[in-house]
Amino acid sequence: MSWEPKIVAFVCNWCTYAGADLAGVTRTQYRPNVRLIRVPCTGRVDPLFIIKAFEQGADGVLISGCHPGDCHYISGNLHAKRRWIFFKGLTDFVGIEPERIQYAWVSASEANKWAKMVDQATETIRGLGPFTKYHALKGTGTAANGGACPLLVWSEAWQPGIPDEVPLPEDAPFVPALREKARELLEKGEVKVVIGYGWAKRQRRIVPVFITEPGDVSRLVFNPLCVNNLSVYLPRKQGDIAKLGKPAIVAKGCDIKTITVLLQEEQIGRDGIVILGVSCSGVIYRQELWAGKAAPDLLAPKCIGCDVQTPRLADHVVGEPVARSVEQQGPSEVQRQIEALDRKSPGERWDFWAEHFDRCIKCYACSQVCPLCYCDRCITEKNNPQWVETSAHPQGNFSWNLVRAIHLAGRCTYCGECDRVCPANIPLNLINRKLAVVSEEAFDYRSGYDEKAHPPMVVYHPDDKENFIR
Amino acid sequence: MSKIGVFVCQCGNNIAGTVDTAKVADEAKNLPGVVHTENCRFLCSSPGQQLVKEIIKTNGLDKVVIAACSPHMHEKTFRKASEEAGLNPFQCEIANIREHCSWVHEDKTKVIGTEKSLDITRMTVERVRRNGPLDKIRVPVTKKALVIGGGVAGIQAALDIAEAGHEVILVEKEPSIGGQMAKLSETFPTMDCSQCILTPKMVEAAHHPKIRLYTYSEVESVEGYIGNFTVKIRKKAKSVIEELCTECGECTAKCPFTAPNEFDSEMGKRKLIYIPFPQAVPAIPIIDRDHCPKYVKDKKKCGVCAKVCGPNCIDFDQEDTFVTEKVGAVLVATGYEVMGVERFPEFGGGRYKDVITGLDFERLASASGPTGGDIKRPSDGKVPNRVVFIECSGSRDESKGVAYCSNICCMYTAKHAMLYKHKVHEGQSFIFYMDIRCGGKRYEEFHRRAVEHEGAVYLRGRVSRVYERNGRLLVQGADTLSGSQVELEADLVVLATAVVPRIGAKDLAKRLGISYDGYGFYNEYHPKLRPVETATAGIYLAGACIGPVDIPTSVAQGSAAASKVLALFSNEELSREPVVAEVNTATCNACWDCETACPYHAIQREAVKDRAGNVLRYVAKVNEGVCVGCGVCVAACHSKTIDLRGYTDAQIYAAICAL
Repeated sequence: MSWEPKIVAFVCNWCTYAGADLAGVTRTQYRPNVRLIRVPCTGRVDPLFIIKAFEQGADGVLISGCHPGDCHYISGNLHAKRRWIFFKGLTDFVGIEPERIQYAWVSASEANKWAKMVDQATETIRGLGPFTKYHALKGTGTAANGGACPLLVWSEAWQPGIPDEVPLPEDAPFVPALREKARELLEKGEVKVVIGYGWAKRQRRIVPVFITEPGDVSRLVFNPLCVNNLSVYLPRKQGDIAKLGKPAIVAKGCDIKTITVLLQEEQIGRDGIVILGVSCSGVIYRQELWAGKAAPDLLAPKCIGCDVQTPRLADHVVGEPVARSVEQQGPSEVQRQIEALDRKSPGERWDFWAEHFDRCIKCYACSQVCPLCYCDRCITEKNNPQWVETSAHPQGNFSWNLVRAIHLAGRCTYCGECDRVCPANIPLNLINRKLAVVSEEAFDYRSGYDEKAHPPMVVYHPDDKENFIR
Repeated sequence: MSKIGVFVCQCGNNIAGTVDTAKVADEAKNLPGVVHTENCRFLCSSPGQQLVKEIIKTNGLDKVVIAACSPHMHEKTFRKASEEAGLNPFQCEIANIREHCSWVHEDKTKVIGTEKSLDITRMTVERVRRNGPLDKIRVPVTKKALVIGGGVAGIQAALDIAEAGHEVILVEKEPSIGGQMAKLSETFPTMDCSQCILTPKMVEAAHHPKIRLYTYSEVESVEGYIGNFTVKIRKKAKSVIEELCTECGECTAKCPFTAPNEFDSEMGKRKLIYIPFPQAVPAIPIIDRDHCPKYVKDKKKCGVCAKVCGPNCIDFDQEDTFVTEKVGAVLVATGYEVMGVERFPEFGGGRYKDVITGLDFERLASASGPTGGDIKRPSDGKVPNRVVFIECSGSRDESKGVAYCSNICCMYTAKHAMLYKHKVHEGQSFIFYMDIRCGGKRYEEFHRRAVEHEGAVYLRGRVSRVYERNGRLLVQGADTLSGSQVELEADLVVLATAVVPRIGAKDLAKRLGISYDGYGFYNEYHPKLRPVETATAGIYLAGACIGPVDIPTSVAQGSAAASKVLALFSNEELSREPVVAEVNTATCNACWDCETACPYHAIQREAVKDRAGNVLRYVAKVNEGVCVGCGVCVAACHSKTIDLRGYTDAQIYAAICAL
């Protein structure tokens, strides 16, 4: 038997399902390739459904609901549209042909539109051929083949600290002031712990330090090696630190963007923390790359185009205001790579990401280090149903990375920690940054700048673009 | 392991014509959990349902799949049958193999239909395996209704509910109830005097012991859910103490200042302490704070009204007050307005004083209007010898943003032509029209009367422009029946402008949590079968806030919505479909994305406490009375802490995996 496209349609109960019913009542004939899954509203459709449908062998997915203004639930379809804008940005970027995921408004009276859409979608997808790329992701990389763990491969070049012969960077001039402020806060009892940067006890590398005694403030330092985003220690999942009591946190402008999102999402209260903002003129992407002096090509990607050298929102700022250096002018390498990828064909983009995701070993370092991945129970830990495969199978890797990206869409402040810690060197920066671009272009929203705004994924505007919806 | 029964319906030949139902039933036996299958000719028939019930009982089934027509047809039927056989009704699911399969794939070989039916059945079986029993949600009912809008629809609804013995709160934005109908002169097709038939109802509503009237008031907020709404009403300051006022009218008579009267389309004048029209109910005056010198100038000036008021009820310092009421149902009857003439620059609207709307013409023809019922044109007060009426001004005109027919204009324009003829015997009316739509009872006869006995000249065609030459208005248009261009001199041009929703209709909808269409008219739950209900349980609609309707329909809808309210009030408590969201409090991160996303404000914050009663943290909680089960929160939740009963992640996952 010849191959027939398999299409899954997620349709809302009130409009499109009824429209498909009407097609039946009027005996409007159409291709039999579609299987409907009824949901109350398109607002119920989670991107996970679509990813799962592909995993289960679908060649295409239709999502259809009421026209704007007709929603049975006031605005469910408009919420859905927001999510689609992000999701479409993501699926296009990873190289799923746009024709494979089609979005539509089909009302209860549009039987003909429904029939026509199914016919057209069937033929378009027939033209594209089976989505073997997804269902056949078996993995050629190390993880799936039982080869060496990339962590181990990488570790050969990895050094526990900066070699003895390399001179360490000097402290920023404001460090004494920082220590003094920390001492004051601890002595007055305004905070119980100061989260900051310090030298590791045995290695020549910077680590997070948690100062609870005023006498220990001399451990606090700040220099270009202080790349970590310490705000990861603020949300509830860091129960041990929360138990110490009210924290003060040493934060660069970029770290404060993350704190802003945590405030937006009420993971911390503004009164519950003291922010010690530090002026920053750029940090080194990976400490082990330090070769004795700061060099432009060592700068962390987040530092390129940085506009928060002088921290906002901080309770206390130490250091003089800094201007953006020449090295920090954009566009960054990441932006160039995104643009290069955008210019490629979906097939080439797919191959690019398939090769990278193939290396993923599902260590979840990316989610552990992410201050915004604060869920007590990650979606990957939910096993009824198990939306995301736990094994490092490439299909599961794809779904994990798509889900991670979509959960951060419109929230990620692009601190780049996930990219930095990935032992498999997957360019996660690219995906996060791409979705930030989507957010900025579609909603004029940049994450991390307004602690009063709602993240764009959970609100909507009636004028959100819909040129991609049939 | 579940014991699932699969019942495949042939629906005569409707399904069996293109689907081998016997094969579907046969192969369904192999699906996991299926213990019994049946291939039946008409499942929805009485014997069919009986069969389902018997097989559930004899085989001890705990879940049922009905492979038949759309769930929109018979989901209720079979859930009820399952319930009668002792199952939880939500253990029954429908596989739609008729509308979505047999009817749309007419392949007589039955290969395609059978294969697709099997897929649909398999997906449904996998789904039903994850179904859990759901219990109806019970909520108490406060037997008091809020009616928003004191036009004829709202008055009718309020009276019907009050007559049945329940308390009603009637909120009206204007100083008097009556709405647009109070502005009309006569009504088609009977030519009753509008106020003569309306004012008795207004008085009845005002004096009814069960109706509490809040005029010059607006609904500020509505919270809660069916049976249990809390409503905050803003009573705007009238500057008159209502309880003391005897409605003597002395203050109005002595007030030395005037302003244009909005009720008369600003064609006439009223005092600054005034009632909008003589029959106003209540006849308690209000002070126009936008014009009264007490407010706009020096506070000490004037004060005549306070001096002449016997019972001392003038209170210049009165402030807006708020009342909070608990009600069980909300009935929205906020009515309509008409597009203003300024939207028609091509017809000289706003430029020429003698280009007016149909509603303005009603005031000219009304005995209580600015001219005492004489047709006199606004510019110079002369009696017009020639009146040109332009129908479909804005209506059915996409360029004006209105694609719909305004429904009432054909009839009222015919009425206007008649009224004009009755009052100005030698006058001549011309009516430009697109089509004549007279769908109501005795409407066509009424229209014929205007044409045949009242001398109105109907010209089928559009008007391109209205302009002025030598002090006279000229109307340029087409007469498509004779195929000629026409240019008519006119003393008065009346535009039958489109009926549009009230300004602020969308704001109110947002406050109420009800949906509206692209124009701002409120959406019915179902346009045919549930025409006076909204998708928000406990909120009902009547009159022109749904779309343009005439008076008989408004009144009928008022009564219909009232009967829905009364049906609700006949229960001490009510049960609701249990398809609502629920939160797993153990994994909630309290990010409140669900709270932000929920269109119904159904997410609340609940404290998690330790044994000593200390609040540890807050988690999301679904108010089951408010939640309507759309699932927007579920998709917003990153950790999948919220799930939607009846459409759980597990059910949808199973269906996807059964592809």
